[in-house]
Amino acid sequence: MRAAIVVDRLSKIYGDIRAVDDISFKVEAGQVFSLLGHNGAGKTTTVEMLEGLRNPTSGTAHIFDVDVANGYSKLRQKVGILPQDFEPFERLKPVEAVEYWGSLFDLKLTKQQCSDLLASVDLSHRQGVLSQHLSGGEKRKLGIAMAMVNRPELLFLDEPTTGLDPKARRDLWELIGTLKSKGTTIFLTTHYLDEAEVLSDHIAIMNKGKIVADGSPMEIIQKFGRRPTVTLVGAGTKGLEELRRQDVEATLKNEDVIVSVSDPSEIANWMVRLNTAGVEVKDLQIKRDTLEDVFLQMIASQKEEATQ
Amino acid sequence: MSRLTGDLKAFAKMFTRSKAGLFFTFLLPILFIVLFGAMFSQSTNTVTIPVQNLDGGQASISFMNALNQTGVIHVQIIPASEDLNTYIKDHSLSIALQIPQNFTSDFSRRMSNPQAPLATATLYGDPTKSTYQEAQGATNGAVEAMSFHLANVTSVMEVQAQALPSAKGYNYMDLFLPGIIGMTVMTVSLYSMTNICSNYRSKGYFKLLSTTTIRKYEWMLTKFIVYSVMLTASLLVSYSVGVLAFGMTSSITLLTFAFILAGAFLFISLGMLIGTGIKDEESGVAIANAIGFPMMFLSGSFFSIESFPSFLQSVAAFLPLTYLNNGLRDTMVYGNDASALLNLAVVLVVGVVLMVAASRLMSWKEE
Repeated sequence: MRAAIVVDRLSKIYGDIRAVDDISFKVEAGQVFSLLGHNGAGKTTTVEMLEGLRNPTSGTAHIFDVDVANGYSKLRQKVGILPQDFEPFERLKPVEAVEYWGSLFDLKLTKQQCSDLLASVDLSHRQGVLSQHLSGGEKRKLGIAMAMVNRPELLFLDEPTTGLDPKARRDLWELIGTLKSKGTTIFLTTHYLDEAEVLSDHIAIMNKGKIVADGSPMEIIQKFGRRPTVTLVGAGTKGLEELRRQDVEATLKNEDVIVSVSDPSEIANWMVRLNTAGVEVKDLQIKRDTLEDVFLQMIASQKEEATQ
Repeated sequence: MSRLTGDLKAFAKMFTRSKAGLFFTFLLPILFIVLFGAMFSQSTNTVTIPVQNLDGGQASISFMNALNQTGVIHVQIIPASEDLNTYIKDHSLSIALQIPQNFTSDFSRRMSNPQAPLATATLYGDPTKSTYQEAQGATNGAVEAMSFHLANVTSVMEVQAQALPSAKGYNYMDLFLPGIIGMTVMTVSLYSMTNICSNYRSKGYFKLLSTTTIRKYEWMLTKFIVYSVMLTASLLVSYSVGVLAFGMTSSITLLTFAFILAGAFLFISLGMLIGTGIKDEESGVAIANAIGFPMMFLSGSFFSIESFPSFLQSVAAFLPLTYLNNGLRDTMVYGNDASALLNLAVVLVVGVVLMVAASRLMSWKEE
């Protein structure tokens, strides 16, 4: 698969502060790639170096094989950007804003093309309203429409859903899904772990300027998360004894038996044996760590390490 | 649509949809013209002096008549029964003249004996106020005229008032309007540009613009074009109001337009320079006000610089708006194009220096 972004040992240092510290990663074309991290982790600095807005102290970043630091002008037509906390020009209507932004890429967009672009972000009904009267979600949608005027192959979305209500967030998720299905590579930074888990093909987690985890959401959960637990509701003492007979470590909580699972395929075997032994299981509940659980554990353990 | 026309069109729309922008460009100068015009254009130059005559004799009546005949003083009678201090306080008077009880007898005694004390009336008021000074001058004039008449002496010399050939036919508004035009050029360009720069920086528009194909100089050029067009329209509107409402006879020359362009260029540059170091809009407004507001008053927009104390005149010489105002008066009122060109050169040179500094210091990216 073609690489959209290749970052190699990239660093940004401000005095004594290593805002971005020797990071490397790769984003495949057509993927949704999420860069996660708490405030001050170095996400925005990284994104702004990729967008050509800041020069790296060392290392390189290539987008579609072009060195960003030295050749961003060659990338302008291929890249779209929605910055953090985007606010549209208040006294322009969405249709005018899209036309204006197109002109800044030397594109002559017709009214119809502008309308179509706004329709793609579900803003047709608001295209004639001054942007200052749009809601937070509508403003971000307009920002995405503006970022798409040049039909970019790569779209940077820096915290696109921060501060939005749940409905507006879901709408934007849907929009990101649609863009991905059309082949656009999306580089997403977000605070919301559920968002990253749902939308991303690949995730990198940053902490103190470094990438501390990298992989698909499932890979990260499996690698860094705790083992899933299965609760056999109502299995009682009889169920506990039966499982222990099979050398399965289990605990009893009220009348429920809780088992930590390393291989989910084992669950079916247990159920057969419990059934044979006449143990009645009223319900089976499986709990596994979410990306958010993993993220919080990682940050906590890193803090602990730093304290020690 | 090219990026230049695109940016021009978008900025023109944003500017014309800004209520503050339209207020400062069109309404504020009209308000100033109408208010100042109403206050000073129709001035009769008479001072009303409330007079309390405690004497009532022939000399005091003749003195009051002499005051009225100056044409400068309008006498208003305070009843003799009133306590003058209480009357002044109750009627919030800033000036009052009292003719004492023995005025006529003192007058007659002095007429027959030059060694006798003078007949004396008292002018009450605040000597620092211009109305007091005017009243004092006029009453002294009346006293002298009456004394000459009684002494049977005639004047042997006089000073005749004659308007300068260059200023002939011009009224107060002719001299006032160039200052208002200069002030408008300064406020619109400086305040808006400072505001735009801080707004674009705080909202990240500069960073976004840097990812597009538009160049910094193109972005600056579109701002200059829009401001120049709007300020030219403002000039024409203000001038029309001056002519129609106050009978102004000064003229708009080609150099007037040159001053509008040069002034817009200068103050856009200054606004950009201020805006380079400011990240939030509130600070931008505060700093633009701190610079623009004193400059408005010290550069002769409303008052003649010649009436300022010498140290303020020295300060005014360092303010670019002074040269814009002076140049506009030179070309519109006095027809002195040589002096106007010199002032234009100063405005342009300062503008270029500020623009070079602003371009160098202003970065769309952030480090």
